[in-house]
Amino acid sequence: MDRLNFINPFGVRYQPDMVSGDFYTKNFAKGAAENTIILNLGPQHPSTHGVLRVIVELDGEYVIRAEPVLGYLHRMHDKMGEVKTPWQFLPNMGRVDYLHPIAWNWAHVGAVEMLAGISVPERAEYLRVISCELNRISSHLVWWGAFVMDLGGVTPILYAFEEREKINDILQIVTGSRLTMSYFRFGGVCADADDRFLKLIEQFIPYLRKRLKMYKALVTDNVILRRRLENVGPMGLDICQRYGATGPILRAAGLAKDTRRDIPYGVYSKFAFPIPSGPTDDCYGRYLVRLREIETSLLIIEQAISSLPDGPIVIPKAPKPTFKLPAGESYFAVEGARGQVAVHLVSDGGKTPYRVKLRAPGFSNLSLFAEAARGTLLADAIAILGSLDLVIPEVDR
Amino acid sequence: MLKAIIDNIKGLYSLLVGLSITGRFLLSPRQTVHYPRKVIEPENMASYRGPLELVPGDPDPAQSRCISCQMCVRACPGHCLTVTKGASGKSPEVWLYDFTLCCLCAACVESCPTGAIRFSHKVYLVADSREALHLDLLGQLKSSAKQTS
Repeated sequence: MDRLNFINPFGVRYQPDMVSGDFYTKNFAKGAAENTIILNLGPQHPSTHGVLRVIVELDGEYVIRAEPVLGYLHRMHDKMGEVKTPWQFLPNMGRVDYLHPIAWNWAHVGAVEMLAGISVPERAEYLRVISCELNRISSHLVWWGAFVMDLGGVTPILYAFEEREKINDILQIVTGSRLTMSYFRFGGVCADADDRFLKLIEQFIPYLRKRLKMYKALVTDNVILRRRLENVGPMGLDICQRYGATGPILRAAGLAKDTRRDIPYGVYSKFAFPIPSGPTDDCYGRYLVRLREIETSLLIIEQAISSLPDGPIVIPKAPKPTFKLPAGESYFAVEGARGQVAVHLVSDGGKTPYRVKLRAPGFSNLSLFAEAARGTLLADAIAILGSLDLVIPEVDR
Repeated sequence: MLKAIIDNIKGLYSLLVGLSITGRFLLSPRQTVHYPRKVIEPENMASYRGPLELVPGDPDPAQSRCISCQMCVRACPGHCLTVTKGASGKSPEVWLYDFTLCCLCAACVESCPTGAIRFSHKVYLVADSREALHLDLLGQLKSSAKQTS
């Protein structure tokens, strides 16, 4: 096939020279051109959220070229999956994406259950939904605080962390940890919800709804934020699909695609919830989509709590840590806070899987940055980077 | 023209709204736990996973329930446990736990057939050297039994 005339299923022609996202990798000896300077954002710059390095070439305040460089936080999670039994790989899943670990828990556990043909008790499915949605809210809250902090507003992150601590208190009851959670087990979950867990969630839902109104008055309607975000960094549906972007970025571009709806897993098909999409594909649109997703998650939690069935939380004779996978292949995708999270397992029937591939949404979403940041002001490039909601451990794995 | 003026007035009003919200929070009580003077409530600590400890035996609290079956050693993803069987019987002679390698994943706790291991709730544990975190759990069990008796 002629690569240069390749047209993808969405009808977009592949044009390799359209964007030079790897210009400095190819021309590493090249310095700045006349009248421009090359600036390294990161790997330790706080607005890059961890150790992302972005090389930007500037003409005055304008970005001519931006190139993200990865590899400063690579921990070989894919390879570690090949030397550990599936059970021993479970704690790794909490460390791939530290803001939404339960989605990664679900992706790995789901892939193993699909391959081994393990069914999950209904109560465990509901607990999975509740914990995953609570975790999604806490992830969006941290993004919200950090994003506004990138733009210069330092106070909102303190409010966001107040809510996040409440969620952590709730999730600690069942998961035992506050950050790198490892809650799911093959065939269920590791701890049952007690009365305190359910009571705290029931108190938390109206509390967060009240706080979301405060967020709107304090930040969303703020004129400075709107002028910083409106019409900045538009990412149309075309480039989102070309780079494989998923999650709030794709939904802000107008396509209501959500794994929870498209490939329903767990008991998501039993709940009624809207998929927020649109209205605009700029930074402000992505901001609004994430805030509306918090409300969606609250709706799902409310429905799950009201119909939580009784019963066991794990199947009898659940796989032990020395459990061996049958030979075969499975791919399981879930909707994380940043997009579609997936685990691809290949097993030859041995003690450890033959190959583990983790699909991180952040990697695809970051690829959009080189294109979206070209020609913008440097301060706007930071806003675009923040609006992508990057978690570098997940991008780099 | 008129629209731009109205927009600007609305924008200025949004700043006042924001200032009034932050002003209100300035006067609200402290949300954090001020550590040396206050500690976290015990009900919040009950589910916290601290470093491992051995469960005291039923008749003799200085004796562990461990039968040296090595299930936990095999299950541990971080290779942080060392259990050696004693010369007589099944009870262990050495029970070492390297907290620097532990990721608190509960693989050992869930694989133990006798329920001999559990998580402690030591949230305020600090150490000044790596060696101080190489814990001898059998020794800890014996000294805590001596203290209570």
